Amino acid sequence: MVVAVAVGIGFAAPPLLATAGSDGLPTITPEQLAEQVAAAEQQPLSGTVVYTARLGLPELPFSKVTGANPVSLLGGSSTMRVWTDGAERSRAALLGDVSEYSVVQDGPQAWTYSSTDNAVVHYTLDDADTARYDDLAAKAEAGDLPVEGDLPTPAEAARQAVTMAKAFSTVTLDAQTEVAGRDAYQLVVTPTSQTTLIGRIVVAVDAATSTPLRLQVWSRADAQTPALELGFTDVTFGTPADSVLSFSTPPGASTKDVVVALPEHDATTATVPGALPEGVTVSGLGWDSVVQVAGVDVAGLLAGDPAAASALPGADRQFDSKGAQQLYDQFAPEKDAGSPLGTLDTSALYDQLTTAVPEGRLLSSALLSVLVTDDGRVLVGAVPGETLQALAR
Amino acid sequence: MSLVDLPEAPSTRGALGRLARSELRLVFGRRRNIVLLIGLALVPLVLGLVLFLTQDSALGGQGPGFIGNVTGNGLFLVVAALFICLPFLLPLTIGIASGDSVAGEASAGTLRYLLVVPVSRTRLLGVKALGALLFAGAAVLSIAVVGLVAGAVFFGLRDITLLSGTTVPLLDGVVRVAGIVAYVGLSMTGLVAVGLFFSTLTEVPVGAMAATVVVAIVSGVLDQLPALHVIAPALLTHHWLGFAEFLRLEPDWGVLGQGLTLQAAWVAIFGALAWSRFTTADVSS
Repeated sequence: MVVAVAVGIGFAAPPLLATAGSDGLPTITPEQLAEQVAAAEQQPLSGTVVYTARLGLPELPFSKVTGANPVSLLGGSSTMRVWTDGAERSRAALLGDVSEYSVVQDGPQAWTYSSTDNAVVHYTLDDADTARYDDLAAKAEAGDLPVEGDLPTPAEAARQAVTMAKAFSTVTLDAQTEVAGRDAYQLVVTPTSQTTLIGRIVVAVDAATSTPLRLQVWSRADAQTPALELGFTDVTFGTPADSVLSFSTPPGASTKDVVVALPEHDATTATVPGALPEGVTVSGLGWDSVVQVAGVDVAGLLAGDPAAASALPGADRQFDSKGAQQLYDQFAPEKDAGSPLGTLDTSALYDQLTTAVPEGRLLSSALLSVLVTDDGRVLVGAVPGETLQALAR
Repeated sequence: MSLVDLPEAPSTRGALGRLARSELRLVFGRRRNIVLLIGLALVPLVLGLVLFLTQDSALGGQGPGFIGNVTGNGLFLVVAALFICLPFLLPLTIGIASGDSVAGEASAGTLRYLLVVPVSRTRLLGVKALGALLFAGAAVLSIAVVGLVAGAVFFGLRDITLLSGTTVPLLDGVVRVAGIVAYVGLSMTGLVAVGLFFSTLTEVPVGAMAATVVVAIVSGVLDQLPALHVIAPALLTHHWLGFAEFLRLEPDWGVLGQGLTLQAAWVAIFGALAWSRFTTADVSS
């Protein structure tokens, strides 16, 4: 017993001593911090992440209705558990009260599992892409990736990033803080523009491992609480158990296979910076940029256009019982089958989230405004709704 | 009962044990309490039967919460039945038993005789709390045991699929479900303390029972209001659904610890209130 207590104290003491000098971290510049983050190897870790959105949108209690569901991230607070081995295997679980939505990635393949629907979606590459993926991975291991020469070193990349950020913002270091019980530096990016909705962005970076631990986005309107916050409440550095990082389809679950294409990384197809897809224009500079997309059939999307909807996950619901399948097929109209919101009325939701303005319908949140005009243009920007309306006229 | 019928004043030694035994006989021998336990035990039985009979129909294998999982694995019948009973039936049962503990004696006029027993009021209250706590445990266990047996008979027990999609061996699953049962049982301790306190306030048992059930229900409703999220972590029912942690890949003991700490705090506060009330009250009936 005495030995156990002594051992316990022995383990507890070093961290206590280490945290004693919280403000004793060496002073560094924003550039040095960014450099450390860029140079740091991705750490194997497991932890709990809490995501809180105070976007000023109507409260949407999705997780109460549908169980753990990615749509619940639109508002309120969500808890996630994350595990990663720091390389190519990871698991993230979005927690509902008595449900879970898991995303497991293992190299070139990934699975999502929803406990509410008992449904698995398995994402894979086709054979050619798998071969190419393995080839790239092997080359990366050997250190001779074809694009190596074009990539700046981490230090250069960090310096470039800070320089670019400084063009439209001031970059400073705030007082050192503690996130999930670990000492952290705080990098603050404050837009110089006075017309954007974003007040400042604060990134807390773990002093020991240079892993970003928390991201806060503050709106200009609310100085008390961040509009968006994503941060660890609990983090442990160390490789998670193998059982956590692997996935096998549970018996009785409905499964769906999706083959995704590996994006080409050839120099010939690389997009030239500044070149935009057809119908997309950007106006404004820096934080005031507004992206305008023309020719969007918003009404068609909301009505659940079969062509678009069938590509969405969960489109073909499978039931174990044949009778249930027949019943479902009979009563579920084809066009509703693809809605990720299940039985929720998407157009009612759209009406609830947006307000009518002379130009069309406007969604305004604390950080972002979206204007959908009656003639099929969508304008998005981190600017007040009035700015978008003026642009749309 | 008249004074003449009372046995000779027993020696102090052993009086507490005798009192505890008689209290347990009283709680578990009372017809109302037995009916309540049977009623709770019927929940998994009826649920299992309904799911068994409908599993081949169009609606088989569907249902909210864990009901959809039951037909695939009988072990889930325990979880589904507890999940169904948690918001109302369990608090009702526990409210009736704990609200009756002291007020029932007072209304029957037997409380003053109990006070004649050479046992301090503190210990007497402790014995009453013990009876109510054991009854709460029995209520949860009756759901769990009947659920396990019914689940095994109707659907069979097999490896359990967690909320995370991972399938763990049956033994691991049984341990996890046992953890759920224990957690739900311990989650009721705060409500028992609340019931005990109300029971010391009044001589009308129905009032104490109703007040206890209302506390659980109001707490559940307040927990749903986004505007009250500041006080939500202190609400009695806030961590009741934390039992789901046992069905996750790596249960977060911190979350479970928070739930148990919350219950301990409610027990401490309402236990202290009940004690201060009961040890100083003027008992006239």
